[in-house]
Amino acid sequence: MIDPRSMTEPVEPPYPGGVLAHIGAEIWDHLWPWSRSGFQRQRTIQAASLAIAIAATLVWVLAALGNDLAPNTIIGWWFGWSVFEVVVRLGSKPYVKEGPWWSQRYRKASVMDMICYVGFKNLLIGATLFIALKSLGLLVL
Amino acid sequence: MKLLSALRDSLSALLLTAAIACTTAPVQAQTAYEAKLAPEVNTAPALCDYVPCSEVLPGATSFSERKGQPFYVEGYAEENGTRKLVGYVVLSTDVTDTPAYSGKPVITLIGLTPDGHFAGIKILKHSEPILLLGIPESALIKFNDQYLGKFVGDNIEIGRSRPDEDIIGLDAISGATVTVIAQNQVMMMSGAAVGRQVGILEATVRPQASFVDHGRALDWNTMVKEGVVQRLAVMPEQVGLERSSEPFIELWYGYLNHPEVGRAIMGETGWRSLMSRLAEGEHALFVIRTRGNESFKGSGFVRGGIYDRIQVRQGQDAFTFRDLDYLNLYGLAAPGAPAFNESGIFIIRSPAFSGAFPWKFIFLGNRVDRATGARTFVNFDQEYWLPASYLEGGRPVVKKPDAPWMRVWKTRAVEIGLFAALLLAVAVVYGNRDALTRRSTRKNKWPVNAFKYTFWVISIVFVGFGLLAQPSITQVLTWFHSLLFQWKWELFLTDPFIFLFWIFIILTTFVWGRGLFCGWMCPFGSLSELIHKVAEAIGLKRFQFELPMKWHNRLKWVKYVVFFVLLAVSVFSMGLAEMLAEVEPFKTTFLVGMFNRAWPYTLFVAVLLGLSIFMERPFCKYLCPLGASLAMPSTFRWFGLKRKQECSTCKACAVGCGSLAIDEHGRIDHRECMHCLDCMVLYTDENTCPPLAQERKRRTKAGLPLTPIGKDGYYIPIQPAPAAQGLSAVASTRSAS
Repeated sequence: MIDPRSMTEPVEPPYPGGVLAHIGAEIWDHLWPWSRSGFQRQRTIQAASLAIAIAATLVWVLAALGNDLAPNTIIGWWFGWSVFEVVVRLGSKPYVKEGPWWSQRYRKASVMDMICYVGFKNLLIGATLFIALKSLGLLVL
Repeated sequence: MKLLSALRDSLSALLLTAAIACTTAPVQAQTAYEAKLAPEVNTAPALCDYVPCSEVLPGATSFSERKGQPFYVEGYAEENGTRKLVGYVVLSTDVTDTPAYSGKPVITLIGLTPDGHFAGIKILKHSEPILLLGIPESALIKFNDQYLGKFVGDNIEIGRSRPDEDIIGLDAISGATVTVIAQNQVMMMSGAAVGRQVGILEATVRPQASFVDHGRALDWNTMVKEGVVQRLAVMPEQVGLERSSEPFIELWYGYLNHPEVGRAIMGETGWRSLMSRLAEGEHALFVIRTRGNESFKGSGFVRGGIYDRIQVRQGQDAFTFRDLDYLNLYGLAAPGAPAFNESGIFIIRSPAFSGAFPWKFIFLGNRVDRATGARTFVNFDQEYWLPASYLEGGRPVVKKPDAPWMRVWKTRAVEIGLFAALLLAVAVVYGNRDALTRRSTRKNKWPVNAFKYTFWVISIVFVGFGLLAQPSITQVLTWFHSLLFQWKWELFLTDPFIFLFWIFIILTTFVWGRGLFCGWMCPFGSLSELIHKVAEAIGLKRFQFELPMKWHNRLKWVKYVVFFVLLAVSVFSMGLAEMLAEVEPFKTTFLVGMFNRAWPYTLFVAVLLGLSIFMERPFCKYLCPLGASLAMPSTFRWFGLKRKQECSTCKACAVGCGSLAIDEHGRIDHRECMHCLDCMVLYTDENTCPPLAQERKRRTKAGLPLTPIGKDGYYIPIQPAPAAQGLSAVASTRSAS
């Protein structure tokens, strides 16, 4: 029977017990979109992901080294990476948190849920990264 | 037929928006928006060969070359064969690069009469998207016209006049507050800069400093540590050159009149010799260049001319240096002083300057836009103030003028207070929604609706039409870009209502979802739904309809598409994104006024509001990009609305949901929910909610008491008490989880 209290069916991610281990696993999930099972299922996507990851890393390293990057290029990369991450996560870690961020309720992610999650998370990560790089004087735009 | 009619209206609205975007191209060509100026405008001595000086200084037939520091030109008229001074012209960017809302300055040509009154103002170039489409550029021209005839030394501010405080108020442009505040700053700084140089305004006289001489022999590091020697470095990328670890220029400077500093830099003999050359009220500072190849004296410097790369500013007074104000500095006596490749001593010959007060050392440069090659004026400054221990009696008390944003907060303190109280009240009322919904029933929702309708009316009248505080997707785009590239608190603080509103929106979206703002406080959303409710109350209910769920579930994605298109376009052109953001009817409705805009905009608003008579919030559901941008984080709101397991089969709430946010399984989509709370009223209504009604009937029939309804939406179960305590039944609370 469908539970009307959750927009999609509940999911229990393979997180370890213990509060710290659980938080650590969640942080890892936020930063690392791939999973072993997802990797097996999405071999073509993963091959593309490797190429994109290398290219994205190169761009970020260049940015960190102070080479010129137009703002549009950076946002373009951010956007492109986010789209790719949505695809990867839907195959690897297809779940999002439900309710308060400190709770431990998860549910299956729809495409829109994943777009919302990845877009919002990457905006925060991008902003943090930019602020950190700029405050360290490593990035001037 | 109703469906076809609704679709036809929606399509018309979309086509209208597209038409609006298309028709703006010719308008753009005729305005100063991103107008192309000759590169010489920023650099040529003959400024008036490149800009229409005579338009801002009526009667002038010839003009001098740029002179003074900051630059201005003199305008002359021929009278009986002789030249007569008829005023001055100043290019705003020669004085200040104060950015407007777009982050770029409004480049303005300003004419002044010989006695210091504004004679003419012309906008040469601006980058304000709102003036391209949202508000006619003529509004800024009209705003500028308010300065004509006013004196450059007047206290002119945006807002109402306050004669008791000697403040002249100017009418702002509705919806472009930040732009006009920046423009006022530009106008007054430019006028004052010329006024002080030509003797229209008297320079401020500051009491001279009395120095404390401890007799110490200071080394370089100590002076740097104590702040009496300071560094100003400009990196290549700051002037539009290739990024490099080597500064474009690195300068060190300090104030030589102080005996300890002077002796440390020049040695006892050198310093005494310097002081003997200075008259009363004259001041000396040293400058050395330790890195970079650019000369701080200026490559174009010639004898008799002005050093155009450096300047000192104290308060509103600017001090520039001519060749006679320069002395050679051959070496530094202080132990630990760095090697340098250029040096000099500059004399300030004005009693307006005082070493006791803070001042700024300014390096003047040009930033080159690598894409267009255009040069823009830019300055880099560093504040210098002798430490208290170097001054008799310590540092004097200096009352710095409030920042423009601070003045706005002070002048509108009452309205800001009321608005903050309103936002707090909405949050408190919604936080107590459980108490309100329990007092309501399906037939009597007034305990909830009294608050909701009151907030709608306040939102429309006070927030929308009164304060013009209608949040917009353009702000989201601006914030998105600012967050990634250049966050300026001042930019956002200048409009206190929008600033507070966004704090409210961000907080409440994370706690409850976007519904509280969209459903209770958005001025346009409130207007739209209020029209729907009024139409229902006056007998038009039979004409009201909602789209079938199948169509709703397709069309609701349109707003996300609109949002992502705007976001993508903003990456390439914020101006174009602002134009396309006209899909929001907010500017027409509240900021500019429905009858102050071209008919397509008014028609668009009329169609949306007209459609609202028959359909609940059509714009909010299907088109609003702001709603879409808030819906996305609403996925992760902390607290949602309540559901029971029986909701999966019962359709009672779904049938009454005007937002169409409840699906066939009874699940609430919090991205779409407007928090009307109708379903929450039913949730605890024992006559309407089927599981409750069933239980009520069962207990009544069995003669059992009706216990209160718990947090889970069920009657608190009746549990038999232990036999030892009697046979009476007592109610115990059921787990709330």
